Amino acid sequence: MSANLAIQGLGVERRYGGFRALKGVDIAVKRGEIRGLIGPNGAGKSTLIDVLSGRVRGQPGKVLLDGKDISALKPQERRRLGLARSFQRTNIFPALSVEQQLRIASWAVTDAGIEEVMAELNLTALARTPAAEISYGDQRRLDLALALVGRPSVLLLDEPAAGLTVEESHGLATILRDLANRWNVTVLLVEHDMQVVFSICDGITVLHLGQTLAEGGVAEIRADKRVVTAYLGTEA
Amino acid sequence: MTSAVDKAALAKRPVMPRTARILGFAALALALGVAMPWLVSSKLTLSLTTQAIVDALLATSVGFLVLQNGRVSFGQAAFFGLGGYAFGVLVARQLVAPEVAFLLALALPTLVAFLLGLVFARIAGVAHAMLTLAVGQAFYEIAFRWRELAKGDDGMSFELPQRIFGFASSSLQDPAVMVVVAWSALVLALAGLALFVNSRIGQIAAAVRDNEERARFIGHDTAIPPAIVYAIAAFLAALAGLLQATYNGYIAPQMFHWSLSGTALIMAVVGGAQFIVGPAIGAVCFFFLKDFAGRFAEFWPAIVGTVLVAVTLLMPQGMVGLAFRLWAARRSKP
Ligand SMILES: Nc1ncnc2c1ncn2[C@@H]1O[C@H](COP(=O)(O)OP(=O)(O)O)[C@@H](O)[C@H]1O
Ligand SMILES: [Mg+2]
Repeated sequence: MSANLAIQGLGVERRYGGFRALKGVDIAVKRGEIRGLIGPNGAGKSTLIDVLSGRVRGQPGKVLLDGKDISALKPQERRRLGLARSFQRTNIFPALSVEQQLRIASWAVTDAGIEEVMAELNLTALARTPAAEISYGDQRRLDLALALVGRPSVLLLDEPAAGLTVEESHGLATILRDLANRWNVTVLLVEHDMQVVFSICDGITVLHLGQTLAEGGVAEIRADKRVVTAYLGTEA
Repeated sequence: MTSAVDKAALAKRPVMPRTARILGFAALALALGVAMPWLVSSKLTLSLTTQAIVDALLATSVGFLVLQNGRVSFGQAAFFGLGGYAFGVLVARQLVAPEVAFLLALALPTLVAFLLGLVFARIAGVAHAMLTLAVGQAFYEIAFRWRELAKGDDGMSFELPQRIFGFASSSLQDPAVMVVVAWSALVLALAGLALFVNSRIGQIAAAVRDNEERARFIGHDTAIPPAIVYAIAAFLAALAGLLQATYNGYIAPQMFHWSLSGTALIMAVVGGAQFIVGPAIGAVCFFFLKDFAGRFAEFWPAIVGTVLVAVTLLMPQGMVGLAFRLWAARRSKP
């Protein structure tokens, strides 16, 4: 059964002083799945991504990648095994050109070309421009491109569309769905735009106050009474 | 639309010609250096030029830490002193063959800086400046107080051995020879830095400088590349100290002093620390300005201060940055 699972968190905890931001969360994403991770602000979504990606280590709980325990591994070691992430707040290399930072990223994983990543994310025309000088929307796609170099097996995306216009974020969702399919990438996607989540995700996990509130298929979650009261509201 | 296409075409330009260009410039500069003693007859000028080149090497060392690691050091003179002292002490006491002393004088500071760099690279801003200042001054205090090592604050003269690497060492104290040696060292150092900046490890170091966290999340270990930059910078400072000690046959604790580090930093900033050659150009200009201002020596600190204020306000990218801007402006005019 677990042979099918790309990424797993088991009993994941995270404390900030006395405050428990994650209270023993279990999550398991199947290979090839796009899983939406939703929940109100402060639910612990970014914190969960931090634990899975290794930004936070040494807390109770386990992280498994393809069934292997990677809890003790540093972020760079996890990335080299195929676990990549992007950031809620744009996290790029401002002084380096788009092409240079993607190339540097490629050295860590494979020497595979970066041209296809630039082309897929519409960055080719900006290749020689320092990242600080490109538009915010381009920077968000660059953040995503840095995670996509070398075709990772698992991609953790923390609000990749944060701050984008509705059209931009829907465009990004289309690219994402398409790439995940073609490159066979498993995706855990934190996203606030429910239209995006409902249209591209195979399944949804709802986090609330550091705990899993519900988990299931899109239709199931939309109909879930607790989810509607805690997060979706009536209009969803 | 055309500009987008142009940029895409530019992006595909291979990097190879860059290496060839760097080596071409270096070969040209080396040839110029060899010709220097024939072009300039005054021993005094050659001697001053040698000193200026030593300053340029030290400023290049300080500037390279700023350029590649984004770190401001007030302790780079520690490696300058270490290079000079390692050579002077080993040679004076005849502990090892002079060639070995020469190599140790370069290797020891480089290794020390690498190990310190593993720690220092994690610290930024004012804390980094203070830490390097403290470590540098600790070396100074040791050289100052430890009389048995090299006569403490008096400093120590020493005799060069007859021959080193098969050459008569006395020629190393002849300005007509030393100016060529020092110039060649500077040119090779600058070319080496340019090649390093384009190398993989150099580019990863630049990524770490820019965003250490993201560098880890794209899969790179972030401790070693900056430490290598510290090591390279220390190597250049040690080379400068070694050249100075050899040329003067004299070492003194002032070689470690923080004011030397501070002056080198000012020269680097004035020349333009965002460019590999900036600090060296700043140092050479400073050196000759100081010589020129000799009559007003008592006002020297005030002159330095004024220049520094003027540069930071009027040309934040230093002299080289200003030169680039003027050149670009001229080219864009019809
Ligand atoms: N560095 C921190 N120190 C203290 N509390 C934090 C810190 N980071 C996050 N938290 C708290 O942990 C909880 C979860 O935060 P986060 O994972 O960012 O939520 P989400 O991404 O779902 O909006 C919030 O209550 C937040 O205030
Ligand atoms: Mg968040």
